[in-house]
Amino acid sequence: MTRRIIVIGANAAGVEAASAARKKDRTAEITLITQEKNAGYSRCGLPFVIGGQIQSFHDLIVYPPAYFQMLKLNLRNETKATAINTKEKTVTVVDKAGATEVLPYDSLVIATGADSFIPPIKGREKPGILSLRGIEDGEKIDAEVKAGAKSAVIMGAGLIGLEVGVGLMEKGLKVTVVEMLPQILPQLLDADMAKLVQEHLEEKGMRILISKGVEEFLGEDKVTAVMAGGEKIEADIFVSAFGVRANTKLAVDAGIPLGETRAIKTNSRMETDVRDVYAVGDCAEAPNIITHRPMCAQLGTIAVRQGKVAGTNAGGDYSQFTGILASAVTRLFEIEAGNTGLTETAAARNRIEVVTGAITSKTKADYFPGAKPIKIKLVVEKESQRIVGGQVIGGEEVTQRINCLSFAIQKGMTARELAKADTAYAPPLCETWEPMVLAAEMVLMKLR
Amino acid sequence: MVKVGAYEVPEGLYYSKDFEWIKIEGEKVHMGITDYAQKSLREIVYAELPSVGTVVKQGEPYGTLESVKAVSDLVAAVSGTIEEVNDEVQSKPETLNEDPYVKGWLIVVKASNLEAELANLMDFNKAVEWHKAQAQSK
Repeated sequence: MTRRIIVIGANAAGVEAASAARKKDRTAEITLITQEKNAGYSRCGLPFVIGGQIQSFHDLIVYPPAYFQMLKLNLRNETKATAINTKEKTVTVVDKAGATEVLPYDSLVIATGADSFIPPIKGREKPGILSLRGIEDGEKIDAEVKAGAKSAVIMGAGLIGLEVGVGLMEKGLKVTVVEMLPQILPQLLDADMAKLVQEHLEEKGMRILISKGVEEFLGEDKVTAVMAGGEKIEADIFVSAFGVRANTKLAVDAGIPLGETRAIKTNSRMETDVRDVYAVGDCAEAPNIITHRPMCAQLGTIAVRQGKVAGTNAGGDYSQFTGILASAVTRLFEIEAGNTGLTETAAARNRIEVVTGAITSKTKADYFPGAKPIKIKLVVEKESQRIVGGQVIGGEEVTQRINCLSFAIQKGMTARELAKADTAYAPPLCETWEPMVLAAEMVLMKLR
Repeated sequence: MVKVGAYEVPEGLYYSKDFEWIKIEGEKVHMGITDYAQKSLREIVYAELPSVGTVVKQGEPYGTLESVKAVSDLVAAVSGTIEEVNDEVQSKPETLNEDPYVKGWLIVVKASNLEAELANLMDFNKAVEWHKAQAQSK
């Protein structure tokens, strides 16, 4: 009998799941359901359209219609999944015209993503608070910029907040970022590392208020100012980048259990507590490789890896998700920053005792023209001496060091092993001593 | 040869909406996939093709192509009996990415109903328009 596979959500996780399912089952009937007009586009690219490096939102579409046609994936866009019945194994959908249909499935993949949220702040119901989750959000911000906006307040100094902030500055706007925590990029970096990024952003003219919460949205018909740390900040654009929350309503209504992070609980095959129902991407939780605790990293790389696993299983084959290190990188003006595994802060929160080593070096031989600074911070668990985290900030060459440290962590590499690593060298490309190796040596000295 | 966006569309071929092209030489018809198809699939690692003597039918699958991320049926652009199969694309599937229109031909068929079936295909001008529409709706 032909297997029927339904995937709810058609972006990173959903399209990946559908493609993986097709690879395992050439005859299955695979249906992708998305509320959005566009499917298979890169959310991560949105801030760079606002900044102007990418010409149009249209360019973010990774999978053209031909892709869906060639893989025989039945894409239903502008269609909303309104209910899942796990007993009958059906999904109820409503299309743009309002027509309701009940679709049966043998395997179901929930990839409903996450939505940005605004904490309960006075005045949050007022119109004029924008966010950046989808193409349509991006178009709204872009329209404000084109209409002559001169200033913006970004609420939240995480990856998205800062990337949007930089994008708006590149368009000539005056940008203020308000962050409640005492540092920027609190998920990504430790405070000592985040400070370097903050200094760079401030040099470029971004105003950053840390340890200041948004207390109130002010304005008559729409938001025209915020109160933050007792100061009234007026602006033309207000972007909510407080964070995102897993979209779990469909799952909850269907009785599919959530986990301790309030995202959908999954096993190592990305299957929920209900058989033949999988959950992937920003709406699902999975274990962190180091802490073994569930987490919802809400990163594109996690979404595609989970999607592939769930799709393979939904297609009748077998695959396991190996866990999350939450490796992430960003570029803000001329500085790149990234992390893999635990920061020192996250280690402490999980009661893991660590020793750290931090080395400042250059991206080329010190004497070579154009060498840029780079700083590595290595986080090592005290007892096993295993590397559990790494942060890198530099003018270039950050990403592949993050990946390298991610590989090391996944293989359980110790600081002693990293200190003996065989690395490459040529003056126009790097320093004689790789700074990751030196950081490991520093850790060993502290462990003596 | 024209380029529609990033996709090459050579003259002198007929095209199907299943991303195939044919080149007619009398009764002999070369069949392959378009540049748009190979770019959508990306690096092709496996080509599963039928053997000589197999009968293919317009609009029906006769083989599959597989890349790292995707898998797609090959849908026959015209009906006929296979007279030749390109061994090179089976041993070196990357040929399909490098040269989809010449070295990357897939099969040669002896067409059985060419005249009538051509009506279901696009000539060069129509194919250019169709590729433009595809690039637009990307």
